[in-house]
Amino acid sequence: MIRFFQACADGLLTGALYALIGMGLALIFGVMRIVNFAHGAFLMVGMYATYVLFDTFKLNPYIGFLPAGLALFLFGWLIYLVLIRPVRDRSHFMQILMTTGIGLILTDSAQLIFKADYRQTNIDLINRSVHIGPFGANAAEVLSFAIAIAFVAGLYFFVARSLTGQALRAISQSPEVAPLMGINLTRIQGFSFALGIALAGVAGGLLLPRLYLFPGVGEDYTTKAFVMVVLGGMGSIEGAALGGLVLGLSESLTSLYAGNQWALIVDFILFLLVLSFKPSGIFGRQRA
Amino acid sequence: MRLKKVFAIAIASAALISSAWGQATTRIGVITSLTGSQAAFGEAHKNGYSIALDEINAKGGVLGKKLELDFYDDQSKPDQAVQGVSKLVDQDQVPMLLGSYSSESTKAIVPAVAQRETPLIIPTATADNVMDSKSPWIFRICAGANDYAKATIGFLKANGAPKTMAIVYENTNFGQSNMKAMTAAAKEAGINLVAVESYEAKSPDYKAVLQRVKQANPEVIYFCSYLLDATTLMRQSREVDLNPKYYTSAGTGFAAAEFPTEKGAGKNADFTFSVSQWLPSAKWAGSKEFDAEYFKRFNSHPQYHAMQAYAALKVAAQAINNAKSLDPAKIRDAIKNIDLASTSFGHVKFDSGQNQHPVLITQIQNGQYRVVFPADAAESKPIIPAPAWSKR
Repeated sequence: MIRFFQACADGLLTGALYALIGMGLALIFGVMRIVNFAHGAFLMVGMYATYVLFDTFKLNPYIGFLPAGLALFLFGWLIYLVLIRPVRDRSHFMQILMTTGIGLILTDSAQLIFKADYRQTNIDLINRSVHIGPFGANAAEVLSFAIAIAFVAGLYFFVARSLTGQALRAISQSPEVAPLMGINLTRIQGFSFALGIALAGVAGGLLLPRLYLFPGVGEDYTTKAFVMVVLGGMGSIEGAALGGLVLGLSESLTSLYAGNQWALIVDFILFLLVLSFKPSGIFGRQRA
Repeated sequence: MRLKKVFAIAIASAALISSAWGQATTRIGVITSLTGSQAAFGEAHKNGYSIALDEINAKGGVLGKKLELDFYDDQSKPDQAVQGVSKLVDQDQVPMLLGSYSSESTKAIVPAVAQRETPLIIPTATADNVMDSKSPWIFRICAGANDYAKATIGFLKANGAPKTMAIVYENTNFGQSNMKAMTAAAKEAGINLVAVESYEAKSPDYKAVLQRVKQANPEVIYFCSYLLDATTLMRQSREVDLNPKYYTSAGTGFAAAEFPTEKGAGKNADFTFSVSQWLPSAKWAGSKEFDAEYFKRFNSHPQYHAMQAYAALKVAAQAINNAKSLDPAKIRDAIKNIDLASTSFGHVKFDSGQNQHPVLITQIQNGQYRVVFPADAAESKPIIPAPAWSKR
């Protein structure tokens, strides 16, 4: 039984970071109806940004993720203006090609600049563990969990309460009518795209100490983020966050009871089940 | 039509010129992992090759010409390694190849090399299936997974004869092949396998895997891992408080120079056992000199991967000199007939392509690799059991 709860705790520690990644994708999808196939690549860029800060300025990744996230926000806005806005009203097919292309270019640029080498930050915190009763956890994972949860909650209240959040939801509910009500479509879309990318960057920075960093590191996360968004109901931000936690739990429990090699398979079985039987998501909400 | 002809002539003359230029030196093609997840081993390869190259050229090169190495970086990816064969053999027209680093990449290049009828010496790939093709063009200088498993079992039998074992392996060719070899060897020795767990090297959360192993409570764990995963496995073993009597391993990550240092697992590496194919303290003549030269150049002590690269190139140069020709078939026959009784990597002689090489067992004690088995080569006594994490 202790093993079960330990695995649940491990799953939630990872799940909170997944939630951050999934929310970014859901935000972009909700407001723009664009599936960002470059999401994992942006996460990778966030990791490298945090890594460079660590490597050159000895900045701890748990501080470095903030400037990295900010840089990704600006980068995301730029990408929106230059590459995404032109395909905003084009077919989904064009948009998929565009975001996939952006992802490939980011990954290959990273390979060009940083080579295919695997890097690690090896900070002191990663070698410490926290014990509560019979349960143990890596100190770095606990810290990134806490930060991720703070961001998830912050984003939730931002979208629910703030004026910009209301504009986001208005556009997501009706992209045709919202501009007639005086909402600047380009500015809100640019903002939400940039925010979604910044969240991926923050997640990347928080993942850095516990992952190996290499140019292809983001690939798995694009598909995982997609699974979370579907689990949570397409476009629902809080749904994607819950989807992230569910995914973390399912991976951890599958690894424990069936073996590590089954974790990804179960991810996709969940994905297919939800798509076939409950396409509105396991939590039943349609959109943000 | 005419344009095509002009093109063809231009290309043909360019090829002639470049091959004529190539005559000034002799080139051997080397495929290894200079970047990517296995870059630490690729660098060891490169260092070993460079020492061998300088020694060979100091003694007059091969066939009276200066020897050059034509490196191809496979980025630790099998498909890139295959591209390397095409680049080095078809385009650069090297008469023979050395490489690659990993078992996965090496298995991928074997058919491509055999098809091009170019001799290949494999320096480090331990998966035994790299020799499955039985192609007369493929030679391997290192010992393989079966030798690793047998040596480890021999050591365990002589040191407490444990009854239960768990195997934890990375799920590419290297890990799979070593897992199979150990499964067979353990069964033969009457050791009960209580858990056999695979993991994907690039997703570094092995805690669930280690929890499953802990539940099975084995006396011995046999890890088949590369460097980054070996580092994380030991850290997470500490986190889940996994305390077998013996941490053993199929070398590689657990035998890398970085592993017991701060760049690797640091203190968590202590008390782990590993197979080894060579150490600076090996009894073979030239070992100490190689270690000294390596330390002088690279400021670290070499592990067996560097020595295997060094030995492979020395053998290749010797074979070309013996063949007195750059004809691949003649070089192949010269490698077949090579019989070097005393090299710094021991006796080198290929039997159906495979060099018969002895395997040692080492243990990390106070951050240093010490040979603990077999008895006639041992420098230290093994420390058994590994102390529990709470007592370290």
